Amino acid sequence: MKHIRNFCIIAHIDHGKSTLADRLIQRCGGVAEREFRDQILDSMELERERGITIKSNSVSLDYQAADGNRYQLNLIDTPGHVDFSHEVRRSLMSCEGALLLVDASQGVEAQTVANLYLALEYDLEVVPVINKIDLPAADVERVREEISEDLGLDPYEAILCSAKKGQGIDEVLEAIVRRLPPPQGDPEAPLQALIFDAQYDVYRGVVMLVRVRQGTLRPGQTLRLMHTGKEYEVEEVGLLRLKKVQRDALQAGAVGYVIAGIKTVRDIAIGDTITDSERPAAEPLPGYKEAKPVVFSSIYPVSTDDYEDLAKALDKLALNDAALTYEKDSSSALGFGFRCGFLGLLHLDVVQERLRREYDLSLILSAPSVRYEIELAGGELIEVDNPSLYPDPAQIEGSSEPYIKAAIMMPERYIGAVMELCRERRGENTTFHYLAVGRVELVSELPLAEVLFDFYDRLKSVTQGYGSFDYEMLDYRPSKLVKVDILINGDPVDALAQLVHEEKARARALHYCERLAETIPKQQFKIAIQGAIGGKIIARTTINAFRKDVTAKCYGGDITRKRKLLERQKEGKKRMKRVGAIEIPQSAFVAVLKTDTD
Amino acid sequence: MAAPGVYLHLPFCSAICPYCDFAVAVGDAARRRRFVDSLLGEIELVAHDPWRAGEGADPGKPAPGSEAADTIYLGGGTPSLLEPAALAELLAALGRRLDLPSRPWLALEANPEDATAERLAAWRRLGIDFLSLGVQSFDDDALAFLGRRHDGAEARRAVEAALAAGFPTVSLDLIYGLPGQSAEAWRAQLDLAAGLGPQHLSCYQLTVEPGTAFGVRRRRGQLSELPGEAQAELFRLTHERLAELGFAAYEVSNFAASPAHRSRHNRKYWSAAPYLGLGPSAHSFDGSRRWWNRRGLAQWQREVAAGRRPVAGEERLTAEQRALEELMLALRTPDGVGLAGFEQRHGVDLVAANAALCERLSTRGLLRIDGGRLWPTLAGLTVADGLAAEFELAAAGSAPMPRTA
Repeated sequence: MKHIRNFCIIAHIDHGKSTLADRLIQRCGGVAEREFRDQILDSMELERERGITIKSNSVSLDYQAADGNRYQLNLIDTPGHVDFSHEVRRSLMSCEGALLLVDASQGVEAQTVANLYLALEYDLEVVPVINKIDLPAADVERVREEISEDLGLDPYEAILCSAKKGQGIDEVLEAIVRRLPPPQGDPEAPLQALIFDAQYDVYRGVVMLVRVRQGTLRPGQTLRLMHTGKEYEVEEVGLLRLKKVQRDALQAGAVGYVIAGIKTVRDIAIGDTITDSERPAAEPLPGYKEAKPVVFSSIYPVSTDDYEDLAKALDKLALNDAALTYEKDSSSALGFGFRCGFLGLLHLDVVQERLRREYDLSLILSAPSVRYEIELAGGELIEVDNPSLYPDPAQIEGSSEPYIKAAIMMPERYIGAVMELCRERRGENTTFHYLAVGRVELVSELPLAEVLFDFYDRLKSVTQGYGSFDYEMLDYRPSKLVKVDILINGDPVDALAQLVHEEKARARALHYCERLAETIPKQQFKIAIQGAIGGKIIARTTINAFRKDVTAKCYGGDITRKRKLLERQKEGKKRMKRVGAIEIPQSAFVAVLKTDTD
Repeated sequence: MAAPGVYLHLPFCSAICPYCDFAVAVGDAARRRRFVDSLLGEIELVAHDPWRAGEGADPGKPAPGSEAADTIYLGGGTPSLLEPAALAELLAALGRRLDLPSRPWLALEANPEDATAERLAAWRRLGIDFLSLGVQSFDDDALAFLGRRHDGAEARRAVEAALAAGFPTVSLDLIYGLPGQSAEAWRAQLDLAAGLGPQHLSCYQLTVEPGTAFGVRRRRGQLSELPGEAQAELFRLTHERLAELGFAAYEVSNFAASPAHRSRHNRKYWSAAPYLGLGPSAHSFDGSRRWWNRRGLAQWQREVAAGRRPVAGEERLTAEQRALEELMLALRTPDGVGLAGFEQRHGVDLVAANAALCERLSTRGLLRIDGGRLWPTLAGLTVADGLAAEFELAAAGSAPMPRTA
């Protein structure tokens, strides 16, 4: 056990986590040169492309250290985004130490801090690593200062490296061996193994990735999932060396996989503790928290014929993504679809991207919503995340909405603009403190709903790209909620209805009306677009009728050409959604509902 | 089915107008003569079986229409640029080879500068019933903008001479909606044109087509079209003013002093009648199949010289396409669509299959349903192009094929 090290790499997006992992794997011969491809742990195309890790992965490395011993280094990959913080937590819980990666030109960012706090919360030994020192813009001294001031770590313990160039990789490996503690635990004690991730394998079912804390896990055992109480027989255990390598047993301190004939990831819970049903542990490992969706959106296929395909695609995605929830939904404007729950906006974005790319579906998503708590007149408390299920306002006693604690880091000069942005977004208790010279961390308690609507874009814009953002869920607070309907020539379009704070209703309604007016083509008659709360109109735009579209000549040859134009026009109409008397092109829904989450 | 019409495309012009996107060419007398010979060649090629062209031709299919063609339209280009003797040769060949009635209705397009007393007399002798003069405007600045080779005074002289020559119908082509044109200026042109006493007017709104000199200027930002609102106003003005002046619209751009003066040939295009087109780019239609000749003069000529019909492409209309075309064209005419006939031909009860739409369009004042017809109003004509696409015609297809014999 003293020759095992379990560690993870934590970093802000794009600070080079996957590249460093690649180098460590290569140096330890974890993969043959010809099998090597960049960002080897990021197996999804989307992960490679966006440079983020969505699904965590792990790998066991065989390292011949300078002290002459062979070490088993278990690198537990972590998702790099706050939406997946529950997964980050599970990964951290499986480790004894972490490499905290900081980009030598970007410096410490909001996520770096958030990740550090998480690591400290789980009592991990943290080794700072300054990456990308080869960049012309690298400023190692400044980053050292930030590590000291912002993170409170010893800047001279930081290892300098360039994962891209392969510089400093040996130093990183030696630090893992020397500075991170070996795992503790007793192979003879009652079994406690933490499930930190799970994957779905079409042939084997669920493959659980586990960290064995106490006891020993071996095939033939009957395991019990302590939170759900379900029992399964262990079929196979082993180590992950990019491929599964079967072993006789996993002992305390080990990181590996377990296959136990489990059909879907929904049957297990990440963070649950595995024990032996014959000799169960007294209690599960601490820190279990259910991953609850916080952002909701309805997904409709552009073509109603694709509904079945969408259903199948969601089923498949859900096999591997236990946090994704979905149930049937329908809209009179957009037809049948699914109401989906996500861990956050990035999760939503990733799911919709995967549906588009991997399943080739064209989709329309309704405006993302949070889940509101609504107290009815009778005292009954209900949760509403879908505007179509919003109760009659006369029946509502009060409502509350989820708040987040947002941490925003930026150079000092943007503090005014960011404070203003938080104020606009109904931020409460906004405070800030100075970090390293010229850098500020601002903390604000914001309604999550305010972040769903182009917050990232605005933050990037007001800080000229220098602001970084991280958040955690806080609590529910009283809110003055209204339902805004969008009416086209008097007919409400259900897919465009939204729940918003009273103060924001008019601006939001106007924004929708204007976007629609830009994207709905002129028709033979005037179209009125209105935003309304109940019967009260709060915003309005009109699309004038087009005045003339008749071409002067129509002679012999022109007839074919003109008919083809009409046929294209008719074809286009099939892709339109009819609301009352108006044909609305899909592009209008897309333009209106588009929220930029990048 | 109505008797077919014959169209001869005579592409030569003395210069190419900057707005024109027809198949046109500039060439000297020798080239024009070679063209006439080629066209005579094409007439010979089609002589035995004019309706069999292209791959989709039905062998043994009888000629569409129970009668021979009863209209001939000499269009272009500038047909008046050809010697009257050459026109006579072409007409004689048509009469001989296509078994035409002794006296078909004849139309000729002519430019004012070609309308000399001598040529007018020659055209009269050819039996031209409908002389369409390419006046375009009586305003010198507008004519210069349009790249025409005549001025207002010459246009006026040509109209007067043509009227004096005694053609059954003299028609003037006018273009409106020029950049910056005011309603007053256009009304003055209409009044002037009508005041000269022609029996027919064709008023075309300027359409800037890509691939023309105007199209290039627009792309470079050197030409800005009249805004849609102003175009609509001029369109309305045209119809309203000409009605006051005694010219009834029978199509969005065509007005006649009485039904007898309408273009009998053009109406065939708008009523799904068969037509045979000869010459480069000319289109033909036999009631269900449409084919078109090569557009390039050289390519067209090469095919004819090789003894092949110079067909570039063809299509066979589906039942739904036939219904769509008929509706699209009918909605461009104030007479609209006869509902019973449409249902009989296409198996679609237009009003029943589009009840909500018809209701909506009539509430909005675009259509009127009355006396078994669906009539576009003036507002409806203004947006006629898009209107047909609104209708559901899917039931078309159960309709019988149009009678072809």
